[in-house]
Amino acid sequence: MQNARSLAGVFMLVTVCGCTSLMPQTAALRETLSPELHGKVELKDVPFFPQSEFQCGPAALATVLNESGVKVTPEDLVPEVYLPERKGSLQIEMLAAPRRHGLVSYQLAPRFSDLLTEIASGNPVIVLQNLGFKENWHYAVAIGYDYGWGKLYLRSGEDPRSVMPFGISEFVWMRGGYWAMVALPPDRIPATADESRWLSAVAALERPDPRAARTAYQTFLKRWPENVNAAIGLANTHHALGELREAEAVLRRAAQIAPDSVIVLNNLAQTLADEGRDAEAMQFIDRAAALGGPFASAVEETRKAIRAGLKR
Amino acid sequence: MNAWAKIISRLLIALMIWTPYQIATASMIGTDQVVASTSQADRTTVLNFLSRSDVANKLQSLGLDPTTANDRVAAMTDQEVQSLAGRINSMPAGGLSDGATVLLIIVIAAAVWWFWQR
Repeated sequence: MQNARSLAGVFMLVTVCGCTSLMPQTAALRETLSPELHGKVELKDVPFFPQSEFQCGPAALATVLNESGVKVTPEDLVPEVYLPERKGSLQIEMLAAPRRHGLVSYQLAPRFSDLLTEIASGNPVIVLQNLGFKENWHYAVAIGYDYGWGKLYLRSGEDPRSVMPFGISEFVWMRGGYWAMVALPPDRIPATADESRWLSAVAALERPDPRAARTAYQTFLKRWPENVNAAIGLANTHHALGELREAEAVLRRAAQIAPDSVIVLNNLAQTLADEGRDAEAMQFIDRAAALGGPFASAVEETRKAIRAGLKR
Repeated sequence: MNAWAKIISRLLIALMIWTPYQIATASMIGTDQVVASTSQADRTTVLNFLSRSDVANKLQSLGLDPTTANDRVAAMTDQEVQSLAGRINSMPAGGLSDGATVLLIIVIAAAVWWFWQR
């Protein structure tokens, strides 16, 4: 009851006092969060890893990775994200590390409603908080909320179920620029995913794990079948994995959607040439060359190589 | 380490990181160039190549061994490498245990209580 009173107090503080500059998004949640999510959610099965000193980064990451089906411990992740001299983990490395385990990392839009929407759709979210008076950065994992009472539940530090009023959560989170991320298996798409930002997130997986990236592109194309850039990405992963026929099929379909894409034509020509079909390749590369544009020099190189192949 | 050894080791690090991708994508225009914004697409390969070794070096100076540093850089996108290269030391590094939360909550709770009593 005491808890409820102080919570009500926080809300009063927000509404009556007009302290909305400290927690602007909390005050606007009624409008920004979709009404069917105005309930209570708690992802109780999300594992908990108590952090050892300074290592909230590995602990938070292990929490999310295990939930996405990657069996790792925080100790496994220390060499992947922890920086001894900084006594902490950088945001970019938190995003990069899940890719080494075949997951797609996605930085959420800086919106409280997006954070809650991801939780409601079953995805625990890593948030960066500044808990001190100056700079005391901390990663915690948001795993639930109670909209009615305005409470956020987190796996945080040594506390398996830290309860924080929305206003305070926003205040400590705002100081880190509302930074939040999810890491999902390649056959899933976050609830709040934006088409072009999600595509960049998938493309980032190409180098570290082309197989997982292939799955992620296929999942992407089921949702957004007309996205030519995703088709280019899928074809590139097929090509990198030596699946030339599949790459060709994807690029031919893309060439139907976007007949004037220089990249599609160039990559299709290259793929055909790799299949030993130089004459066919030549038709496509000529079309690409005629279109010009920023990739003209790359196209010219491809053309030279195909010509050399024809002469042999 | 003398200057030459330093230059050579930087070069080797860069080559270790860079070579596999160069070979894998011969003549295919990479997806990163497609999804990146135009200004990023303009960046030259040389710039990239330098940034990756630069970031790997910086990570080493922050307490990592060379292999670990290289593996970490390999998981980053060009864009991420670029932003780390510039300001690795000024970026927040989350590491705190949440002990300080208590302090903050006490302060806020005090404010709430004060408000409630009025």
